[in-house]
Amino acid sequence: MKILVTVKEVATVEDEFEIEGTEIADQYLGADLNEWDDYAVEEAVQLQEAGVADEVVTVTIGPEDCEQTIRQALAKGADRAVRVWDDSLEGVDLLDVNAKTEILSAVVEEEDPDLILTGVQAGDDSFGATGVSLAEEVGYQWGAVVNHLEHEFDGDVASVRRELEGGVEELTDIELPAALTIQTGINEPRYASLRGIRQAQRKELDVKNLADLDVDESAVDSDLELTDMYEPESESDVTVWEGSADDTAAELGELLRDKGVAP
Amino acid sequence: MEFGLSEEQQQIREEVQRFAENEIVPVAEEYDTEEKYPHDVIDKAAEMGLTGSYIPIDYGGAGYSILDTAIITEELFSYDPGIALSIVSTSFGCEAIMNFGTEDQKERFLEPVAMGEKISGAAISEPDTGSDVSSVSTRAEKDGDEWVINGNKMWITNGTVGDFFVVLCKTNPDAQGRYNGFSQIVVESDRDGFSAEKITGKLGIRASDTAELVFDDVRVPEENLVGTKDAAFMQQMQFFDETRTAVAAQGVGIAKGATRAALEYAQDREQFGQSISEFQAIQHKLAEMATDTEAARNLTYKAAWNVDQGNDITKLASMAKEYASRIAVDVADEAVQIHGGAGYVNDFPVERLYRDAKITQIYEGTSEIQKNVIAREMLGKGF
Ligand SMILES: Cc1cc2nc3c(=O)[nH]c(=O)nc-3n(C[C@H](O)[C@H](O)[C@H](O)COP(=O)(O)OP(=O)(O)OC[C@H]3O[C@@H](n4cnc5c(N)ncnc54)[C@H](O)[C@@H]3O)c2cc1C
Repeated sequence: MKILVTVKEVATVEDEFEIEGTEIADQYLGADLNEWDDYAVEEAVQLQEAGVADEVVTVTIGPEDCEQTIRQALAKGADRAVRVWDDSLEGVDLLDVNAKTEILSAVVEEEDPDLILTGVQAGDDSFGATGVSLAEEVGYQWGAVVNHLEHEFDGDVASVRRELEGGVEELTDIELPAALTIQTGINEPRYASLRGIRQAQRKELDVKNLADLDVDESAVDSDLELTDMYEPESESDVTVWEGSADDTAAELGELLRDKGVAP
Repeated sequence: MEFGLSEEQQQIREEVQRFAENEIVPVAEEYDTEEKYPHDVIDKAAEMGLTGSYIPIDYGGAGYSILDTAIITEELFSYDPGIALSIVSTSFGCEAIMNFGTEDQKERFLEPVAMGEKISGAAISEPDTGSDVSSVSTRAEKDGDEWVINGNKMWITNGTVGDFFVVLCKTNPDAQGRYNGFSQIVVESDRDGFSAEKITGKLGIRASDTAELVFDDVRVPEENLVGTKDAAFMQQMQFFDETRTAVAAQGVGIAKGATRAALEYAQDREQFGQSISEFQAIQHKLAEMATDTEAARNLTYKAAWNVDQGNDITKLASMAKEYASRIAVDVADEAVQIHGGAGYVNDFPVERLYRDAKITQIYEGTSEIQKNVIAREMLGKGF
């Protein structure tokens, strides 16, 4: 089985920051591998260690700067990486789901994986749609918000557990080829080992532009426009009950349920 | 001349930071207060390959250079020196086996250390032997095909948790010259007659295990002798460049951590209606701390780079060790000062760094000894 994992370098923001126009000012930004992707990579590497997968390939859309972040996945055990970048992507502020879908589906066609693992969402722009949209485009089955994947595959069927709202979970069998969007907590991502980091430097990292993938430049045009960015005023609200725990616990429980904190 | 780190080295730094923030920071205060050895953290560090990172790949290590190792040491020490020392010291003594050991010794001793299955130690100091290493009195006598060892070793890192120790012993009391007649012998802690007593009440690095070792007619096979009989002193000397550079990296790390903590606190704390970081007195402290740390780092990296090139750098290594350890103590002191009263209790990490910093001026040759070495080299006096 071949697994393709989509990975992304995301912007991380310091606790205190300032907004300039529609962007967070540069000096407050850092970069890291998207948290959800870290879990997706771990899941893929575990499947490889379990002898289920023969090859784990990562794919990202990003400039050369992000290679160091992408190598993290190689250091943790992915076999090779594909990075897509193009001059036409250079000036794009917002790469929307459609554009990502088109670019990634071209890579899926080339790689022809049995299983695609993506993060549920990216920590920075949080569209939360790329995985499913990609599956739809390439005609794969999909499972969203997967928080458990059976490592014993029954033929061409993946047994997954999905997280629904309100603490409800669902068990589903999904026929391969399929795309699963991976939720945090599905596993415990490892640290890249020192040996892994060393080996990662020698692993293949293939760079492709849109022409290489037969994707038209118009794919990157977006219908979406970012119009504003601001910090919402945060309000804090306190409820105090007078009386003994016996009398007030039920009220607290009711409130927590109301607010959606407790099921 | 090249001053930049490679992409791989940057990646190592980042992954070690991630490890330290998640696995060390949350438990650092607990291990310090309780003065207990961080077995759990060591296990996780071993999985990542942080134990024995310089051990060659053929023996299960990562085969990292002295500069790579210095970067790892600096990062770990910037978060918590006690746990950091526990991690980097798991392979103490192994450098002798790596450079002078037989193939069989390398397989027996290096591999399990690299895999995180065993912990080693280097036993040189004794109750009456500190700076003057030539006064070692622990005796190893040959009996058939065994060495019989008697004596006491003092201040031994990993003493009660170690699986084996590379012990500096006197093997030929009749040897001419004060540096002759010593050998390095591996003693496993499960040998009869070996005992270790933990030393408690340390000022700092309290997570690290320190003990007195007692050898009472301990018998080990003759093949446990490392390198050449009676030539241990010369062997030991070869690692000073490496081990002193490593302690210099510890100092850089402590200074880095103290600066980071002070910078954060200075921006948060308000007095006289403004952040204390607005006061020039505080700004100048921060500027000096950062500059001193950078200077110490450059000296340390230069020493590490030279060791990796195979150059002999007795003077440079001593300079790096002496300077970086002094900077560690100074910077930690200023960091506490910037914290005011809050720096005097263990709510913030600077109180611990302040206590931890001092050891870097003592072990691996005191600051006075380093200056002796530097001056001796300058004056062309040999050793
Ligand atoms: C926490 C800890 C861990 C340690 N780990 C180890 C270990 O793993 N293995 C090991 O073998 N040892 C270890 N040591 C021992 C350490 O290396 C010695 O403490 C150190 O070498 C100093 O020796 P000493 O304590 O006997 O001091 P002394 O040599 O008695 O020195 C006392 C003072 O006299 C000064 N002095 C001595 N000689 C001279 C001179 N010629 N010129 C000027 N000044 C001089 C010293 O600089 C110092 O200020 C450890 C010590 C500690 C505290």
